[in-house]
Amino acid sequence: MSAEVVLAARALRVERRARDASFTLEVEELSLRAGEVLAVLGPNGAGKSTLLRALAGLDAPAAGSVVCRAEGAVTMVFQRPAAFAGSALHNVGAALLGRGLSGKELRERSRQALDRFGVAHLAERRAVTLSGGEMRRLALARAFVLAPSVLLLDEPFDALDAAGQADLSLDLRRVIEETDVAVAVVTHDLRRAMLLADRVAVLLEGCLAQQGPCAEVLEGPRDPAVARVVGMTNLLRGRVLPPRGADLAWVEVNGVQQLPCRTSLPVGTEIWVGIRPEHLKIDVGRGELDPVGKAVVEHVVSDGVAASVNLEWGGVQLQTHLLAGRGLARTLTRGDAISLSVSPDHVHVMPAEAS
Amino acid sequence: MTELGVMEIVAITARTLAVCGTALFVALVLGLPLGIFLGRRRFGGSRAMVALVNSGMGAPPVVVGLGVALLLWRSGPLGALGLMYSPKAMVLAQIVIALPLVVGITLAAAGALDEDWELQVQTLGIPRRWRWWLLVREIRLGLLAAVIAALGGILSEVGAVMMVGGNLEGETRVLTTSILMYTQMGEFEAAMGLAAVLVGLTLLLAGLLTALQQGGRT
Repeated sequence: MSAEVVLAARALRVERRARDASFTLEVEELSLRAGEVLAVLGPNGAGKSTLLRALAGLDAPAAGSVVCRAEGAVTMVFQRPAAFAGSALHNVGAALLGRGLSGKELRERSRQALDRFGVAHLAERRAVTLSGGEMRRLALARAFVLAPSVLLLDEPFDALDAAGQADLSLDLRRVIEETDVAVAVVTHDLRRAMLLADRVAVLLEGCLAQQGPCAEVLEGPRDPAVARVVGMTNLLRGRVLPPRGADLAWVEVNGVQQLPCRTSLPVGTEIWVGIRPEHLKIDVGRGELDPVGKAVVEHVVSDGVAASVNLEWGGVQLQTHLLAGRGLARTLTRGDAISLSVSPDHVHVMPAEAS
Repeated sequence: MTELGVMEIVAITARTLAVCGTALFVALVLGLPLGIFLGRRRFGGSRAMVALVNSGMGAPPVVVGLGVALLLWRSGPLGALGLMYSPKAMVLAQIVIALPLVVGITLAAAGALDEDWELQVQTLGIPRRWRWWLLVREIRLGLLAAVIAALGGILSEVGAVMMVGGNLEGETRVLTTSILMYTQMGEFEAAMGLAAVLVGLTLLLAGLLTALQQGGRT
C-alpha cells in the first residue's frame, strides 16, 4: 500500500472514566490511508468506539497524538445517528452551513448526496419519521456531502435486517471507491467488515493486538484471542512433534490427534493450533486431500445460507462450514462418519506463551 | 361608562402592551441564551443556579413587587434613580417575574436534547454560530412555550405592578390595575369592559404564538 496516510495515531493513550469503572485504550501505531478501508474488530468493551472517538477528535488523548494530514473533513457516522429538526434535505444541508454556499447550491449538493445513497425520494420527508435504515443512509449522505478525507463509521450495519445490511455495504463500497476517502469502520460483524475492509485492526481489552491486510490477520492471528475475534473458531492446545518429512512439520493436538502443518518452532514447544472452519474439508468418501482422520457428525445447523457442522474427531471437537442446501449439507445427519482433511498450509500454529 | 372613554381604553391598552412588551423583550434577550447555556453545560454552581431558576418560576408576584419596591423606594439602594411609581419600575418588576419563566422553560428544552445531537453537530464540523442556529431550530417549540408562559405571566399580573407602579392615571395605569381599581370602586361596567380587552388580548397573543409554534412542529 503506497497510498497516502491521511490520519495516524501515534503512541496514543485515551482514558475514559465512568462513575464506577475506568478504561484505558493504548494504540502504538495506527494509520488510515486514502482510498482504504480499515475494519476495527473486537469484542464488546474492547475500546473500538473509544478509538473511533479519539480519531474523530471528540476525546482528547491522555498521551500521544492523532495526526491529521487530510485536506478535507474528518467526520463520523454514529451507531444511532441524530436526526435534526426538518426534512431529510435540510439535515444534509445542515452539514454545509457556514461554507458560503448559496441556498440553491446547498440544496443541489444535498440532493445529490441523498441520491448517492438511494434516498433522494425521501428528501422532503421529516427526518424524525425515517426508519432506522433510511436514517443510516441519510447520515451517510450527510457525512459524504462534506467530501470528507476521513470517514469514521461506528457499527454502520447495526439494527439493519440482512437484506438492508447487504444493500448498504454494496452502496458504501461503491461510494468509497468513487471518492478515495479513508475509512475506519468499527463493527463486531466480521462478515460485514470483510465486505468493506482492506485491512483489519483487532482490539482486545484496550490494546491494539494485531493489524494488517485482511488475509494476513484472518489466516495468521497472533494468538488465540485474536483468532477468536477473526473467526478462527477451531482452537486446540498442542505441541510440536518431531518432523517426518522434508518440508512438513507435525503437531499433536489435545494429546490425542496429529496434524501436518508448517512451523519452524522447535520440537516440544507448547502451542495453540487454529483452523478456520471453512478450511476443514469433510467428505463421505476420500477427500481431495489426504484425510487426517475419520470424524463423526455431532450436529448440523443451517441458517439457509451457510450450514455449520460440528464434528467429533477422536476426542477433538471441530467445526466446519458448508454452503447450505447443496451436496453434503443436504444429507449430513448426526452420527454420520466422514473423512476429515485439511491442508498443512491452513493449520495455523501459535506459540502458547504468547497468549 | 361615564368616566372611561374609548380613547382612555386605547391608551391603557397601549401602555399595557408597551410595558409588557419591553419587559418580555428584555427577559427574552437575557433569558434565552442563559437558559440554553444552563441547559447544555455543567459547571460548578450550575445545579444551584438551576434550583434558583426553578424556585423563581414559582415566586409570588406580590413578593417580587415588594422586593422591587424595597429596592426602588426613596431610601432604598436604587432610590436615587427616582424610578418608583414609573413605567420603568413596572418593567423592572415584570422582568423579574418573566426571567425565571423564560430561563426555566428554555433550559428544560435545551437540556432535553441528548448528547448525541451535540456530538453529531461537532463531527460535521459546523461552525459555532450555525450550531446555535441549529440548536434554536431544534428546540423552537420549547422556546415558544417559554415566550407564551412569560407573556401570560406578566400580562395578567396585577400585584407587583400595582405596588411599584401605583396605578397613576395617564402614567402607570395598565389594564390589570385599572380593572382592580374600577372593581373596588363598584364600577363593574368599566371593569368588565377592560377585562374583556385584557382577555381578548391574552387570547389573541397566545393564539398567535400557538399558531406559530404548531405551524413549525416537526
